[in-house]
Amino acid sequence: MKQPVQELMAQYRDNLFAVAFNVCKNAQDAEDVVQDTFIQYYTSKKEFESGQHIRAWLIRVAINKAKNVTRTFWRKNKLSLEEYMETLAFDTTESEDLFETVMGLPKKYRIVIHLFYYEDYTVREIADILKLSESNVKVRLLRGRKLLKEELQEEWKDDE
Amino acid sequence: MTNKEKYKQAFSVLHASDKISLEVEDMIKFQKRHKMNIAIAVVAVCIILAGGSVSAYATDVGGIQEKVSIWIKGVATDTEMEVNEDGSFTFTYEEDGERVKMGGGGVSIGDDGETAKLPPEEFVEDMNSSANVESDKSGKTWVYYYDQKVEITDLFDKNGVCRIVLSHKGEKAYLEITDEKDGAYSISKTNEISKEKEKLYTVVKK
Repeated sequence: MKQPVQELMAQYRDNLFAVAFNVCKNAQDAEDVVQDTFIQYYTSKKEFESGQHIRAWLIRVAINKAKNVTRTFWRKNKLSLEEYMETLAFDTTESEDLFETVMGLPKKYRIVIHLFYYEDYTVREIADILKLSESNVKVRLLRGRKLLKEELQEEWKDDE
Repeated sequence: MTNKEKYKQAFSVLHASDKISLEVEDMIKFQKRHKMNIAIAVVAVCIILAGGSVSAYATDVGGIQEKVSIWIKGVATDTEMEVNEDGSFTFTYEEDGERVKMGGGGVSIGDDGETAKLPPEEFVEDMNSSANVESDKSGKTWVYYYDQKVEITDLFDKNGVCRIVLSHKGEKAYLEITDEKDGAYSISKTNEISKEKEKLYTVVKK
């Protein structure tokens, strides 16, 4: 199956932006990543099995593209995370603290945490998207949660 | 609230701009394949080291090197290209009697989302077909595209955006250059555009 790209943009644009931002910490780079990801989907001859297959593919491509942006020697946009955060309208200071703490985590924990808590993926699905072993994902999730707990204390529960 | 609910609330502030959909739809409308955006995720170049004399250079080169010609500031420049262990490339050339090193890297993203390092020839081809923008010490802003050097200082609008059309071997390049206000410029290049959008672009000649 191949879902029209316009439908996918309406459905996943913000999700891809969030996952790309989570990786590269820069809004303009994240937007470029989202745009490139949809264009790659449109031009790809790949056949997809289901809507979930498309969603996972889009997320994987966006993560890989975002990782490559962060590997470059030169970044075109120098707006810092702090400056960008000032433009965001958080509902509560607790939300802002959580956002800032997550963005301060090492990237390898941040991506796994995001896919689990924001995209509702299981450990097995995250392993499939990131091409990691399930045990590796579990370790990253555990360490990421531990760091969040240490930083956020009572604001972060031990419920998962 | 559960941790998931808290997390979703915190990250719900992130929204992509509408510009993305418009840009993607534009690409689709023209059924075009914009190589920079599709195949190559990243091709970025910067000068990473300058200094030392040219004569000293010959004594400390190592690794597999190849001579390639690259357009630098509108001039076809002979460089020594070296492929680094991480798949990136280093180019060394002479400028005003100084040895200058320039580095960069690129990847392609396949149909399954997998990444692969770009072969040197594709990287060089992409670098050569990219436009570069720089401001000089006198405050003038220049765009370099192949052998062309064009001053665009006065072509920026109130939003810091400059849209120009350049040509190379009969092919038009529509460049949208945004002044990032921090000494950097972002450049968006396309070879096809709608008639409506074309009106926004200024045709310039070298």
